[in-house]
Amino acid sequence: MIPAWTNDVLRYMLEQGLVNTLKIAAVALVGSVVVGVTFGTLLTIKFLPLRAVIRAYIEVWRGLPILVTIFIIYFALPAVSLSLRFDALTGAAIGLILWGSAQVAEATRGAVQSIPREQHEAASALGFGWVGRHAFVIMPQALRRLLPPLVSLLVNIIQNTTIAQVIGVNELLESGERSIERLNAPPPIGLGEIHSFEILATVMLIFFCISFPLTRLAAYLEKRLT
Amino acid sequence: MRRLVIVLVVTALAGVTIAAWGAVASARDAGPTQAKVKLPPLPANIKERKRWQIAVKCDTPPFGYIGARSQNAGFDVEIARWFARFAFGKPNRVTMSCVTTPAREPALTGERVDLVIATFTYNTDRETRIDFSRAYYKATGRLLVRNNSSIRSLADLPGKTIATTSGSVYERWVKNCHKDTKLIVTDGFTNAQLAFRDGRADALMFDDTILLGIAVTDPALKLTDDLFLAQPYGIGIKQGNVALKRWVDAALALMKKRDLFFPILKNTVPPRQVAPFSKNILRPNQNFAYNQGDITTVCS
Amino acid sequence: MTALLALDFTFLSDTWSFVETNFDELLAALRRTLQVSAIAIAGAFVIGLVLGAARAHRIPVVSQVAAVYVEIIRNTPILVQIFFLYYGLPQIDIFLDAYTVAWLAVMLWGGAFNTENFRAGFEAVPDRLREAGFALGFRPVANFLNVTLPVGGRIALPSSINTYISVVKNTSLMYVISYPELTTTVLQIQALTLETVEAFTVLALSYLIIVWTMSALIRLLESHLALPEAFK
Repeated sequence: MIPAWTNDVLRYMLEQGLVNTLKIAAVALVGSVVVGVTFGTLLTIKFLPLRAVIRAYIEVWRGLPILVTIFIIYFALPAVSLSLRFDALTGAAIGLILWGSAQVAEATRGAVQSIPREQHEAASALGFGWVGRHAFVIMPQALRRLLPPLVSLLVNIIQNTTIAQVIGVNELLESGERSIERLNAPPPIGLGEIHSFEILATVMLIFFCISFPLTRLAAYLEKRLT
Repeated sequence: MRRLVIVLVVTALAGVTIAAWGAVASARDAGPTQAKVKLPPLPANIKERKRWQIAVKCDTPPFGYIGARSQNAGFDVEIARWFARFAFGKPNRVTMSCVTTPAREPALTGERVDLVIATFTYNTDRETRIDFSRAYYKATGRLLVRNNSSIRSLADLPGKTIATTSGSVYERWVKNCHKDTKLIVTDGFTNAQLAFRDGRADALMFDDTILLGIAVTDPALKLTDDLFLAQPYGIGIKQGNVALKRWVDAALALMKKRDLFFPILKNTVPPRQVAPFSKNILRPNQNFAYNQGDITTVCS
Repeated sequence: MTALLALDFTFLSDTWSFVETNFDELLAALRRTLQVSAIAIAGAFVIGLVLGAARAHRIPVVSQVAAVYVEIIRNTPILVQIFFLYYGLPQIDIFLDAYTVAWLAVMLWGGAFNTENFRAGFEAVPDRLREAGFALGFRPVANFLNVTLPVGGRIALPSSINTYISVVKNTSLMYVISYPELTTTVLQIQALTLETVEAFTVLALSYLIIVWTMSALIRLLESHLALPEAFK
């Protein structure tokens, strides 16, 4: 009942497409969190030049569409200097990190600033310096409040990896597109049949199955932690 | 004395066996051709690397696509593998990266790859930024219509809708030369074919290699007699890399002399189309060259 | 140092000549981006308002259908949704041209997120306010229009604004169906002339100007519409 061509196509989509999607998403998530939490915390320091620079970073990478950011990294940077040349996968990951870190920075700033002043004062009274205060008292609480938006960010990042398709990264959507093209070619290459509807539907389904539990998790965490 | 003779004989036998095994192995690796190839020297950086870095298409059968076993395959890919055999003796000495149409030139100017073998149509404007090898595949544009269509030739196009792929020479040519024809441009050929099949477009415009296959298998469709945008594909090389261009042109000449394009063609197109398309490839008695200028601006 | 300054001036003049040469095309592209965004934002507002209210008030059938719609749109990539509308619908005989898909795709996307924004906003309206409305004699619909909507709508304002700005940014994805909005047009010009740095500078600046202007205008609106402390 299930046609024979699905085997190879599904294997290609899962083993290569999906794996690349998850690879990019993982790197982008880690990068966004590391850079974003750092910048967001620094944003709370009352030092104007630093705040201005970080604020500029956030506004630029949140203001640009991710597609434009990825194009700039992949096409424009090498035109400026040959050493700034990245392969498609790295370029896509960098683009997502720029956007993701801006989101995380903004959320971190909000989370850190939502910690009541009493916590800062109590920690100071106990003898903690700025670093100690933030490391042991403020950040643990702020990070807990960051958890729901971080899970939402992960969902967004996973879905935005599809944008990498336009620079040719073999993520899930692109692997589906390539399979569609091959199947459409006449034998001996393919089958001479168009199966774009089935393959696109499968791509949507896979994304849904990954994202839906995560969105539920984010909602649950939001309820638990607020 | 006798022990010495035995040792010598055993060593000699071992040596002969190892030499024979090596010869057989390298002959196997070198693929279907065994004779030594005399080509100009490779540029130093490629020689050192002992691998090619070649950009190919991964979504454009029959030239570059991903096969059922997730491997790179296609006419252009086979040429890349031959280059690997010629340069390094093994067809796997090539790293193939997938490029999209707009990424082909930046792949060369950004030094991401050594060569671009990806249905790269020649035009004089591109030649100002990159170098092209000699022509290796003669592509012609055709128009696919339904049997009962009111479009009988290019002259019937005004007011109609044509489907083709985005970034292609066809898109540019229609925008330049057939301004009163509506265009549906799609991402990838299958989507253009779908637009035509579903009736959103009255005609499908693309390479003869691909359209002929559809016309032959679907009796309700036919090709008009128009032949246009006949401009061969070339291999893209970074501008100024004279040594590499010399090597590539010599390699293509070698493949032409040994009629190596013909078996590649047989593996890529359906058997019934091998004969008509054998006129599109380089063969011992067959040659073609680029048309100068930018054919997408040539309107008559 | 002077060399750097000279570089900057040639860069600026190159960018300006890029804009000048392609001015008509770029202007038309900008108009399309803004037009599609405006239609999509208006639609997303209406969808969010209606379905958000339905969800918040647990209206049977509508609430469930809205939930399915929201979950599908939120949990699948918008790029795949665009492909589906443009290439997938024709299989069931619905043919949409690129312009329609452009505003429809981002409108449906924005509407789904906005539904959640408004639902959260309406549900966050303090009960005492709604009870006060009933005590004043309002019927349910009137209560919604006079109490829940004004207050809940303002609570939902920040998240709605984020959604609208994302809608504008997502119009750039119409590149994949070659609808000639800003991103598609600039990239097409760049593909022909290879003036990469100038093209992307213009593209980036255009979006930043649009998004920042929208944000600034909306902050202004927000400060006008802010809720007095008593309502929170």
